Parts: sequence; C-alpha cells; structure tokens
Amino acid sequence: MLKKKGWFTLLSLVLMVSVVLTGCGGKNNASSGGNSGSEATANAGSKDSKETKNLTFMFRGGTDEQKAYEGVVKKYEADHPNVKVKIVVTAADQYATKLKASITGNSVPDVFYFESGDLKAYVNSGVLLDLTSYVEKNPNIDLNNIWKYGVDLYRYDGTMAGQGNLYGMPKDVGPFALGYNKTMFEAAGIPLPDKDKPYTWDEFIKVAQQLTIDKDGDGKLDQFGAGFNVQWALPSFVWSNGADWLDATKTKVTIDDPKFIEALQFFTDMQLKYGITPSTEQAQTLDTYQRWMKGEMAFFPVGPWDMSTYEKLPFDYDLIPYPAGSTGKSATWTGSLGIGASAKTKHPDEAVDLINYLTASKEGMEALVKAKVQIPNLMDMAKEWAADTTTKPANKEEFLQVVNEYGRVLPGHYTYNAEWYNLFYTDIQPVLDGKVTPEEYVKTEQPKMQKLLDKAVEQEAKSKK
Amino acid sequence: MNTKLGLYRKEKIYGFLFILPPLLGLLIFTLYPMIYSIYGSFTDWDGLGQMNFIGLGNFKDLWSDELFHKALFNTLFMMLGIPIGITLALLLALGLNRGVPGTTAFRVIYYVPVISSLAAVSIMWNWAYNGDYGLVNQFLDLFGISGPNWMANKYTVKPALIIMAVWKGLGYTMLLYLAALQSVSRSYYEAAELDGASGFKSFWHITWPMVRPVTFFIIVTNIIGGSQIFTEMNIMTPTGGPEYASASVVFYIWQKAFGNFQMGYASAMAVFLGVFIFVVTLIQFRMNEKQSFDVD
Repeated sequence: MLKKKGWFTLLSLVLMVSVVLTGCGGKNNASSGGNSGSEATANAGSKDSKETKNLTFMFRGGTDEQKAYEGVVKKYEADHPNVKVKIVVTAADQYATKLKASITGNSVPDVFYFESGDLKAYVNSGVLLDLTSYVEKNPNIDLNNIWKYGVDLYRYDGTMAGQGNLYGMPKDVGPFALGYNKTMFEAAGIPLPDKDKPYTWDEFIKVAQQLTIDKDGDGKLDQFGAGFNVQWALPSFVWSNGADWLDATKTKVTIDDPKFIEALQFFTDMQLKYGITPSTEQAQTLDTYQRWMKGEMAFFPVGPWDMSTYEKLPFDYDLIPYPAGSTGKSATWTGSLGIGASAKTKHPDEAVDLINYLTASKEGMEALVKAKVQIPNLMDMAKEWAADTTTKPANKEEFLQVVNEYGRVLPGHYTYNAEWYNLFYTDIQPVLDGKVTPEEYVKTEQPKMQKLLDKAVEQEAKSKK
Repeated sequence: MNTKLGLYRKEKIYGFLFILPPLLGLLIFTLYPMIYSIYGSFTDWDGLGQMNFIGLGNFKDLWSDELFHKALFNTLFMMLGIPIGITLALLLALGLNRGVPGTTAFRVIYYVPVISSLAAVSIMWNWAYNGDYGLVNQFLDLFGISGPNWMANKYTVKPALIIMAVWKGLGYTMLLYLAALQSVSRSYYEAAELDGASGFKSFWHITWPMVRPVTFFIIVTNIIGGSQIFTEMNIMTPTGGPEYASASVVFYIWQKAFGNFQMGYASAMAVFLGVFIFVVTLIQFRMNEKQSFDVD
C-alpha cells in the first residue's frame, strides 16, 4: 500500500515538475514572441526608437588585438546608443571549440569571427546570415575599396567558394611577408636585399650562409640565417616552385608532384645540408621567434599582427619578397579571418551594421590600424598607410603587394574540412630530421591524405542535401 | 492511522523535493547528453546540420582508423604512470608516516601540484621541457647530458607527459595512503615484531594488505582518469605531437568533433571509450572480490 503511494507521489512530482517546466517554456516563448512583435512594429514605425537592442560579439585575439577591438566596439556603442554589444572573447586556441559548441547548442552569437575554411560547412547548414543584400544597400560600403582577395574568401555560391553571395566580411587580411634584420646586414657589410626582386633559392642560401656565424667561437652557432616554421613557411616554397597540395578541382592531393618534392627537399636542405636554420633540437617555433627578437636571425617571416611587438626591436628590420623557386615568382600565405552574423539573429540590421563598422568603416579601421594589429581593410587608406616610411617596417608596401599580387590562401580553405591537410604536418617530423627523404614521404603520405580528402568531399556532398 | 500516513507522505514529498535538484541536473546534464551521443554515434552528424542514420558505419571506420589506434595506444601507454605513481606515493607516505621532522611542510609541498590548475601546470612544464632553455635540460647539463627536445621528439614526448602526470598526482595519492597507514593498528606491528618479522616482511604481510582498499580505489580512479586525459596534450602539443605520438583518445575525439565537423564519428569514439572504461572497471571490481576472498 505504502509502496504504491510512494510511486504515486513520485509520479505526480515528475508530472508537476514537467508541467512547471513546460509552463515556463511556454511563457518564455510567448514573451519572446511578443518582443519580436513589438520590435517589428518599432522598426516599421521609427528607426530611431529608444529600445535597446542587444548583440553578442564573439572574437579572439592576442592582448593587443583584444584591447583594440574592445575599444572599437565601445566607440560603436557610443555612436549607436540603442545598441548594446556584449563581448565574448577567448584565447585563439580555444576559439574554434567554443564557437562550434555554441553552434551545436543552438546559441550562436549574433556576430562572430570564423575561419574562411569553415565557410562551406556553415553556409550549407544555415548558420551564417547572407550579407549580400545588406551590404549592397548600404551606401557607406564600397566593396571595390576592400581587398578583393579578402572579400572573395567569404563568397560561396553553393558549389565553389570564392564566388556568389557574401556570407562574411574580412576582419583583415594577413599577408605573411618575409622580414630581414637590416642592422645585421649592415654590420656584416652585405648589400641589402632588393625589395622588388626576390632572391633565387641559391642566392638566398649564399646570403644566409654568410650570416650564420659562431660569434664567440665556442663551437655553437649563435647567429642563424633564417628560421622557418614548416607549417607556415613551407607553402611559400612549394607554391613558388609551381607546385601545390591540391589540383585545380580541389579533389586530388598532388604532393607527389616532382616540383613539390623539390621544394620540400629545399626546405629540409636549409637545415640538413646548408645549416642556415636552427635544427629541430635547437628550435621550437618559440625559439626561432625569440632568436629573431634578440637579433640573432637574419630572415624571419613577419605578419602585420607582429608590428606592434616588433616596434620595440633593438634593431632595424624591413620587408622583402620571399625567395623564388623555379617559377621565378614569390609566393606566400595570406591569412584572413571573417566576421559573420548568425542566420538566426534577432537583429540582422544591427548585426550587419556592427560588422560593417568593424570591417569597412573609416572610423573603425582607423582605430584598429592605429593599434598596429592589422593592415587597413580599405585600399585607399592602406595606400596612404604604406606610403608612410617613417614607421617600422619602412617597406610596408610589401604587405600590400602580397595581398594584391602573390598571397594565397592555405589549401585547407578549399575543402569541407582541413583534416587531410593537417595530416601532412602531423607526420612530417622525420622528414625535417632527415630520417625520411621527401620523396619517400610524399609517396606514403599521398594515399593517406587522399583518403581523408575523399571523405571530406563526400561529407560536403551530404551537407548540401 | 490516517494522520500518521499523511505525515509520512509529507515527509516523502519533502524528501523528493530535496533530491530533485541534483536529480534534474543528472537527467539534463548527464543522462540526456549521454543518450544523445549514443544516438549520434550511429549517424553521420557533422555537428551543424541534420543527422542521417548510418548504423554501425562509424564503428567500422574506427576499426581501420590508424590515428585512432595511435591515440588509443598512446592513452594506454601513458597509464604506465599509474604503477609508478602508486609506488612513489606509497614510499613517500611510509616516510612521512614515520614522523620525519617537517612532515607538515612536506605534505603541503607534495599537495601543491594537486590543487594547481592543470592548464597552468601544463604551461609550466612546457617551459621546463623546452629543448634549449628548459629547466630539465639545464639540469641534465650539470651531469654532461645533453637532453632532447622533449615535446618535439616522438620517443620522449610520452615519457615527458607521464613524468608530469605522476608529479601532479603524487600528492593526492600520497595523502590517501597516509590516511590508510594511520588507520592501521599498531598492535599488528607489535605482534609481528614479537614474532621476529623484518621490516620488509611486516610491510608485505601487514601494511600492503591493510591498505589494499585504498590501492584498489586509486587504481580504479586513475584508470578512469587516465582514459580521459586531454588537457595536458591539448596545451603542450596542440597538434597531437610529433607523428601524433602524444594524442590521446579524448584529444582525437575533440579534434574530430570541433576541428573537422565529424560529431557523429567523435560520438562513436566517445561511446567506445565509455564502454571500455566500464568494462575495465567491471573487471577490476570482479578481481578485487576474488582477491579479498583469497586473502581471507
């Protein structure tokens, strides 16, 4: 008898709780429905209604960058008193997890950074708002004045990225130029590199060898020609030698191309044969970076995001094009991050407005460029900025040339996910250590990468349904 | 009678109300996600769009996934730290139990790593393991040994992580042993001494069996924890280490789910890991039952 009663009590409790819960849910829905209704009328009635609209803006970046963006958002709020922006900021390495978790959990921020490589997946599953009409009808935006390279990264027509509707605006473009330690060249009496004519690979090795020195004679090198992180610098050598990871259809892995092998061989030779870079034992990325900062390295890649840090360098540095392989032309990676809006945002107008302020407005850009965390998105402003040779680096023009002429996007951008591309770097250590030849490596790695690429292609096809 | 029943009922309701919050928490934050991920493991879900049922497809793929095998091997390999940690912790506890001067200070010292944030600890050890400037190699330098670049070498990266994990867990394990040792009655040792048992013999026949419940508890929790190891490698080797030599299963799950849009596949791995942990724990409990029977 008692037992039965117990069950009854439990059941009624569960029932009660569920009624309360659904009741709450119902109420919430009703109230939110009411809200959107009143918003609609407010929007229709008068644009400058005093009702506050709340946006969430999620982004990532280093400390300097965070400060700069927070400042610009504050300025935006001051100009738009009816909009409140809640900022969510994370460290760079946690950003992707956080964003994807919020997408899976159906609580996408109104405005957020995203990687150009994730564009297809986000568009196919309806996460991103189509910005085309908003941007086109905005008289303050001149798309022709923003880097075409950057804008095109966020276009997608349903089959190919790079064309069609616009789903994001470039936060910036990140041309990864090559820097050199000018002071070191002058001290060694070596003629300065030409800023318009790239070194050939042979010339580059010769110069770098001259600058690789054991200064105090203790048998340990304490000045190096160069320091390259394989993941960020290898593409430059591969591309300038006329090779690539993918074919034109973006469905075949082409790392077994002889031109590719030659470039990888050259990259490993810099350490193993010519000894102009610190060995793996001597260098994790941080260390080459530290050596460059201490003035112990002749050549080192420089991104615009480094400018604020490099201002305090105890030596003079400048930018030049990367050494050119068999094509005779430089190539390098140019990064970018997009800012997009959620397709489900309650305030699409305000969300796009904020995006435009951060990416395409004069006021916004000026503040960000002043903080030295990026190059201007607006081309006319960029030209003006580059013409000023009094601030370091003098040849800022090189950054613009990278974007306009020889910068490229990483191969993973073209595919549904970058797993196949990442595998290349996961397994590469023995090649850098000279235990596996580049030729052997690409032969064993190509099928593995192809398998993952096939899977990504298949996944993409499925996601379109 | 009636009033009594009514009183009873009221108490029951209060009782249920009190357990309701944790119960709801369990249902919403544990049971629901668990069932959801089990369902997800049978789909090709990319974490964004729709879920298509594909049966055992994900599990079949697991069977031939080289990186998954590597990650599984790495995870198991790193459990070598468990016996090492237990041995060291027991030795330390035995030492501290003797009442060495400064016992309290030592306890604090060994316990500090336990309460430190794992992320902070990982960053600190990452510096210590740095090939050029790291504390570890500088120390080895004193003996004329030139140390490797720990995190960039596939042979040293796992031992490096094990050493760190042992160091981090030592204080906790030691404290448990210390408590267990202190609850062992002195009279056993006195009796053994009268019978002429040596130090080692009395350890082997008294101490070790008496602390066995603690050992069992530590092994079970460490294996469960070890199966879920993630933060260390995520911070210290964010790409999975040289040739994926330091990626754990959870690391691989995380990469698949949040890096490569393969939530379904990641769920399948999570289910596999869950079953694995369950089975291993079950076996341990069975073995424990048998052993206690044998000893008695």
